[in-house]
Amino acid sequence: MGVDYYALELDLTDDGPNIQEVLAELTGQRTVPNVFVNGTHVGGYDKTFQAYKSGSLQNLLEDRIDDTEVYDYDLIVIGGGSGGLACSKEAASLGKKVMVLDYVVPTPSGTSWGLGGTCVNVGCIPKKLMHQAALLGQALQDSRKFGWECDEQVKHNWDTMVEAIQNYIGSLNWGYRVSLREKTVTYLNAYAEFIEPHKIKATNRKRQETFHTAQTFVLATGERPRYLGIPGDKEYCITSDDLFSLPYCPGKTLIVGASYVALECAGFLAGIGLDVTVMVRSILLRGFDQEMAERAGAYMETHGVKFIRKFVPTQIERLEEGMPGRLKVVAQSTEGPEIVEGEYNTVLIAIGRDACTRNIGLDKIGVKINEKNGKIPVNDEEQTNVPHVYAIGDILDGKLELTPVAIQAGKLLARRLFGGSFEKCDYVNVPTTVFTPLEYGCCGLPEERAIGEYGKESIEVYHTLFWPLEWTVPGRDNNTCYAKIICNKHDKNRVLGFHVLGPNAGEITQGFGAAIKCGLTKELLDETIGIHPTCAEVFTTLEVSKSSGKDITQAGC
Amino acid sequence: MGWEEKAVRGYSEFVQAAEQSRGRPVFALFCGDKDAQGRSWCPDCVTAEPVVRCELNSMPDGSVFIYCQVGDRPYWKDPNNEFRKKLKLTAVPTLLKYGTPQKLVEEECLNRELVHMLFTED
Repeated sequence: MGVDYYALELDLTDDGPNIQEVLAELTGQRTVPNVFVNGTHVGGYDKTFQAYKSGSLQNLLEDRIDDTEVYDYDLIVIGGGSGGLACSKEAASLGKKVMVLDYVVPTPSGTSWGLGGTCVNVGCIPKKLMHQAALLGQALQDSRKFGWECDEQVKHNWDTMVEAIQNYIGSLNWGYRVSLREKTVTYLNAYAEFIEPHKIKATNRKRQETFHTAQTFVLATGERPRYLGIPGDKEYCITSDDLFSLPYCPGKTLIVGASYVALECAGFLAGIGLDVTVMVRSILLRGFDQEMAERAGAYMETHGVKFIRKFVPTQIERLEEGMPGRLKVVAQSTEGPEIVEGEYNTVLIAIGRDACTRNIGLDKIGVKINEKNGKIPVNDEEQTNVPHVYAIGDILDGKLELTPVAIQAGKLLARRLFGGSFEKCDYVNVPTTVFTPLEYGCCGLPEERAIGEYGKESIEVYHTLFWPLEWTVPGRDNNTCYAKIICNKHDKNRVLGFHVLGPNAGEITQGFGAAIKCGLTKELLDETIGIHPTCAEVFTTLEVSKSSGKDITQAGC
Repeated sequence: MGWEEKAVRGYSEFVQAAEQSRGRPVFALFCGDKDAQGRSWCPDCVTAEPVVRCELNSMPDGSVFIYCQVGDRPYWKDPNNEFRKKLKLTAVPTLLKYGTPQKLVEEECLNRELVHMLFTED
């Protein structure tokens, strides 16, 4: 190109190693060549060659500034979870210069984790694996009825399970780092805060600060568990952030909360043989279909999980230190002066999650948040009130807190920003599943909301109880698994809501989620021939409506 | 720079070398056997070795680098060989940090930045 350049050979300067350290902190790049043009960091060999091919290298050399200022990056993503990683990788694959920052503030107990966000480290992944551990325990019991002869009492080893799960999570953390490097996304393990509209300060765990600018920002900082705000909560209690890597078996556990986190944790802890109590302030699974929530809860109760309903803890005291120790919990009724006390080895708080939006400098740049819950209102293109700042994932106000939603939103956002696409994320009819001991899968509206939106006379609910074939031989609960669909009478009996309580509910629901996207109706379901013998086939032969009042108790096949 | 190399052949020699290095960071590169002329039957291994060797100086002080020849091609292709069963290796070349889930497989080993990342980052 005939351009003069200055080359500083780091292996030939005394200060080389120091310079290399500083370069790494400034740019996230440890290797050489590390290229700067007119003060702007370009990157290593690959990025420089890419800039040469795309013409931006020439722009930099000629100090050519069009309407836009020259920023360090095209895109900075704050948060390396499901949404953040999907968005940054997509933007990089579209040829953009991207940085992603991820930082885990340790829990009060000191727990921390690697790249990947909540889902991978302290959410969906370890949850489902522990749920599986519990299901296998049940399967071992059932197996005797099928002829497997096992004399010994089967016990569960907490440490073995946690080690195996953490090992798998470690490989995922590593996999994400390799993936980001391969896609030339710059990754910084640092806490990001806005200091100016296009500039952030990044602080790593050694408290070193670096500064970075970008044309566009995406907030994907996710949430953390909320505490009770009573004496002893942060000092003695744990949350889901701590549970999945707990270096000792939690023992006799009290779970405070009625969220799906609370019920799922209670479920698998009881499933591996622990003494579990759930303390619920009011209703189970707020926001979900309440009939289904109560049925899921009832199953847990008949299978050994104790419920203390309409109480809230007021005080946690430590009686004995240890791993686990012994804690005393005092709780107050929500309906009167009654007090209950209990002793537990572990208290797990699962009353909700708060968005990580309060301490990242959003006030400095004018991004509006919902003061009540800290979440960020966005338009249907995930744009905040500040045009160059977007947000995705759990922190969105009024949107679903699910990994696949964040991933989809992140990918589509990147494609709209940099790929010339116009496709927006569809938040309607997203299927989901609660992995309680008896799983609950759903897509569409809860019955209460369908009644509220369409009116009771406009909807027809078809339902049935069913007995999975695999449960017959071991003599497991009959008339417990339940299926229902909610249909719109004024629109060809279009399925507005799909609900199933039974084994493998997630696997069952996924397909119906696609069918609902295609406009599934009761007639189409009836025309579909079932697969026999399965649980899912009940949806192809639903006959009894709630309005008819007919009995759905099963006598047997 | 303070690091040490051990060259081994076969699974038992590898385990022995790893055990002897307890308490120190251990990195291992698994390749197909080399013939009398010093060329491995695995072409990616031939390309990966110099890339990895270039970065050895960035390993932490006190590290041990184990260069392990896994065996001949038929041994490697056997799905029940000890490396596949006990170490969960799926391909050669594999470069890994022993005792952690961190590893690079096949073309990843040819990427100098990834090798550097494996050697230097937690």
